[in-house]
Amino acid sequence: MIKSKSAKFGDWIFVVICVIVGLICVLPMINLLARSMSSTDALVRREVYLWPKGINFDAYAMVLGDVKYIKAFFWTVFLTVVCTLVSLTMTTLCAYPLIFQDLKGRTTFNIIITITMFFNAGTIPNYLLMKSLNLLNNPLVLIIPASLSVYNMIIMRSFFYGIPDSLRESAEIDGASYFRILWSIYVPLSKPVFATLALFYAVGRWNGYSDALMYMNNKDYYPLQLLLYNILNNINSIEVATQEGFSAPGLSESLKAAIVMFSTVPILCVYPWLQKYFIHGVTMGAVKE
Amino acid sequence: MKASTKKPSAVQKKQNFGVYMKRYWQLYVLLFLPMLYLLIFKYVPMIYIQIAFKKYSIVESVWNMPWAGNNGFEYFIKAFNNKDFINALRNTLMLNLLDLVIGFPAPIIFALILNELVFKKFKRVIQTVAYMPHFLSWVIIYGLALQIFAPSSGLVNMVLNNFGIEAIPFLNDSKHWVATYIFLGVWQNFGWGSIVYLAAIAGINSELYEAASVDGCGRFKKMWHITLPGIKPTIVVLLVMNLGNILGSGFDRPFAMQNNLVMDVAEVISTFVYKNGIQGLQFSLTTAVGFFQSVICVIFLLLANWISRRLGERGIW
Amino acid sequence: MKKKLLAVLLAAGMTLSLAACGGGNDTKGGSESESSNAGTEQSAETEKESSSEEAEASTEEAAADPSNGELVDGKFAETRKIVVEVYDRGNDGGSDPTNNMYTKYIQDGMMERYNVEVEFKGVSRWTEVEDINNLLAAGDAPDICVTYSYPTIQTYAAMGGVQDLSGYVEDYKELLPNLWDFLGETNIYWDKEPSTGALYAIEARRASTNRIATFVRRDWLEKLNIPEPTTRQEFEDMLIAFRDNAETLLGADADKMIPFSISYDVGWRAATIIESFRDPDITDRENYINGFDDRGITQEGTKEAIRLLNKWYNDNLIWKDFALYGSGDTTEGDLQKSGYVGAFIGNWDDPFRNGEDSVQLNLERLVSPDAAYIAVDCFEDSKGGYTKYAYGSTDRKIFFPTTNDEPLASMLYLEFITTPEVIEYLQIGDEGVTHNKLEGGAVEVIAATGDAIQNSGFNLDYTITCNGLQLVDDEATKKSIAYSYSGIAPELIEKADKVANTDARSSKNVQVGTIEAEEGIGTALGEKRDIIYDNAVIAPVDSFDQVWDDGVADYLKSGGQAIMDERAEKWVATYGDVDMLPE
Repeated sequence: MIKSKSAKFGDWIFVVICVIVGLICVLPMINLLARSMSSTDALVRREVYLWPKGINFDAYAMVLGDVKYIKAFFWTVFLTVVCTLVSLTMTTLCAYPLIFQDLKGRTTFNIIITITMFFNAGTIPNYLLMKSLNLLNNPLVLIIPASLSVYNMIIMRSFFYGIPDSLRESAEIDGASYFRILWSIYVPLSKPVFATLALFYAVGRWNGYSDALMYMNNKDYYPLQLLLYNILNNINSIEVATQEGFSAPGLSESLKAAIVMFSTVPILCVYPWLQKYFIHGVTMGAVKE
Repeated sequence: MKASTKKPSAVQKKQNFGVYMKRYWQLYVLLFLPMLYLLIFKYVPMIYIQIAFKKYSIVESVWNMPWAGNNGFEYFIKAFNNKDFINALRNTLMLNLLDLVIGFPAPIIFALILNELVFKKFKRVIQTVAYMPHFLSWVIIYGLALQIFAPSSGLVNMVLNNFGIEAIPFLNDSKHWVATYIFLGVWQNFGWGSIVYLAAIAGINSELYEAASVDGCGRFKKMWHITLPGIKPTIVVLLVMNLGNILGSGFDRPFAMQNNLVMDVAEVISTFVYKNGIQGLQFSLTTAVGFFQSVICVIFLLLANWISRRLGERGIW
Repeated sequence: MKKKLLAVLLAAGMTLSLAACGGGNDTKGGSESESSNAGTEQSAETEKESSSEEAEASTEEAAADPSNGELVDGKFAETRKIVVEVYDRGNDGGSDPTNNMYTKYIQDGMMERYNVEVEFKGVSRWTEVEDINNLLAAGDAPDICVTYSYPTIQTYAAMGGVQDLSGYVEDYKELLPNLWDFLGETNIYWDKEPSTGALYAIEARRASTNRIATFVRRDWLEKLNIPEPTTRQEFEDMLIAFRDNAETLLGADADKMIPFSISYDVGWRAATIIESFRDPDITDRENYINGFDDRGITQEGTKEAIRLLNKWYNDNLIWKDFALYGSGDTTEGDLQKSGYVGAFIGNWDDPFRNGEDSVQLNLERLVSPDAAYIAVDCFEDSKGGYTKYAYGSTDRKIFFPTTNDEPLASMLYLEFITTPEVIEYLQIGDEGVTHNKLEGGAVEVIAATGDAIQNSGFNLDYTITCNGLQLVDDEATKKSIAYSYSGIAPELIEKADKVANTDARSSKNVQVGTIEAEEGIGTALGEKRDIIYDNAVIAPVDSFDQVWDDGVADYLKSGGQAIMDERAEKWVATYGDVDMLPE
């Protein structure tokens, strides 16, 4: 009885900690939300902290009413989904063969892979490469170059190491091909890591804009974040304004906040959906050690 | 018992190879696409790394550019002679180490706490909320930080002023700035970083917990003997990779958070390169600094990996 | 086996890369060396008059020579094609910079006049340097490029990426009357290298040289019964009065009082003060040697100006948070709009820009209809005048990369874009659509929609040789300036214009060739200077001298001294041991 009482007490401590932590995390989002619904005057006077003042939804009306944002939104969603699938596949293709200790050339492969984690040539060489591959202004340039993250691959491979060898060995003895082992054993057991990496790749693609900035001129293929980047920059460059003797027409603060909301909230919704894959003890039931 | 010491004949070697390939060809097929990707998208541009040792010319092809002075090390020497570069180097190291010491355990601790939560719905909500900060760009985060921490118009300091307490220079004094920088880094990352650990915890056999309960283990004993060892491989892998990145520099965070009053601690390698290398069109210098960073990173990675193997863990390979 | 595999892979990698990179970047040395030869032959002296006389004779020959221009009746026999750079600002609600009403107008005009097809290539305004780098490296750069930074062009030229224009401007002079007329020799030869005679860029012209003014709150002066300040001391007294009467002026918001606001860029936002401490009779030589830093860190008198700011800061007369906010932050602007700021220094039209969003209109709306920032002259120099530095007549630099195969067509493009009627149309568009004509000939700009939207002020992205309103009729231009700020009382603008022009002077053009010490500096020294100024202003009064001296020593050691020395040396080499430039 004593044990369960103290357990209860401990539970509540954790809850309190989590509430505090949670508040620290969510308050800025509330601030942004409040801003997106406030009048410009209230924002200029810096009166808005957690509660909107002069509530109006003009900013959202402008964003949702502008075809450009809607189009970019759907394109970015499509792009993210495609990218995630491609990247997960590529990562698995790379991680799986490397868990086999007997694989000849394994060390070489490891060296080749690791070097790419650290050595990067810079923007101009990458640009020239894209040009020579005819990938400039091609939507594929937003998918292929980012398809394999070595960091993620290492995470996946570490996870694979955690799956007991005995599973694999018994399958080998049964005469299963390596393709089959991958498909029937490793993939089903790796749901947590797939979910994790899917999230990583998806967020990376959703938030990323620097590749589009460099390689894509066709506005139809701009990811949403690039539009946001351009808008924020337009009103943000006082140096440019001084040089040029004029300043760009200001974008209202509330519109800025609305756009941030618009581009952040969708990806926030992905995680809860993936949570169900982080299930306890899904894997180990199959092994009797 | 030793195997036969006779060296296999050429024919036998070929046979062995054939047997080997018959068995393992599928793995090579699987590896083909990733390797092709790496070759094209990572190694081909690497040809340009030799710019670090050459005088860059925007119209010449890489092979025709003249070699830099001092046996090609002219730009490395130039960088190291620059007091600002040395400063940036020191700052990068310092900030990354602090990030590691304070920022690395935070997601782990958070994952452990989350794991202890009894109320499932609450746990889900907190999880989702905790990784919200990750999605804000650093420009926005700094803007928010100013609203809260600025000396005269920041929320915290205005409240302090009301009580007659002097303003705390969160962002305008070098030491305080470092603390704020690290804190914001932790804030932004702990929720997101905990995802990997939660996935790893999910992979621990639940029977182990049941068995421990039967044995009468309390919550902390379970954490210490089951959960932590269970995610130890993940922790080690990530630690090794983070150590390997000790001289790497993100750009967005320091760039957004810099201000002129704290530049003595806020200038890091990436911002230094941006101002001097890219804006100044000094491509060779930029590449040289990048090359230096890469070499150091590899060395650290190998070191960290070796240490982890020494301690009985599997390395990242 | 392992080693073999590694070797094979590396070899394959190198072969592939050779195949990928081999064809890309051939040296384009050919055309550049031809034109630079022509340049050196023609202009050995620095006296421009005699060289242009000389050139006229050869131009006649050139025009008559069909192989040089291939123009028949002023047009090309076959259609030529050129690519022109245009800034893409990613404006929300803007028009497509490469395809809109104005590009059509230009394309139709060029086709009709010269039989030249024009294509526009968008370059992001925010990553301009990186984008041009990429394009140049890939050989894809537009034929006509524009940038604000001359050292950038010099660096590209040193790498062999920029064409020498001196030949073209002389050879085709007869075909370029508008260009020569509008830009004049001053702007065309502004960047000519004295030793080689090479001309890597042509300077656009800035229509209005107004730069800076000091603004104070007229309504606060009235409330406290203080006359407009006319001396530095009066300005300081006014700030003290603002500070001490915060409750009267701001009531409940008294703790938000900011008598004087500046930004992290102290040199710019206190420029009238700094410039007033400078010797009004400063020699051209002295001005030039110290002129690398446009905020005057090494100029005489600057230290005392910053010391004054330091005193004001420590007396709580200056906004405490000024150094924390970066260049894009709107906080200072918001504080001005909310009415908490008593005085500031900035662009001569700062409070009036951006229509509804302007500081002035926000003041009227949020504070009171009488609230206004009025321009004043109160920083007297040692001779009692209000010396301030205005912009030179130069603006952006136009250059041709060596990949440009159509130099004549490109020069004719510049000619076309400098034709007064073309400039006027691009700036004000069609009557009723983008502007209204008022009595007296003034022109009022109205908000456009769709295709007719101008992405930049007065469409300067297209009028690359001109920055600022330039109607065909100069009188109309003057009158229209006041109407380009919709909703603002004209007398405020007139006062600001008057102040900006009082005792205004520009630094003269000095051509001594490339200063090697300036290469590769980028923004590093400028940033250092900002750091020095900021730290000097916030330092405790007793530490000011040390902070300043240490900072400047570091600045000089990091390249500042080398630049000054080289400038001094090249000055003597070009002009001899004189202090003033030849008239």
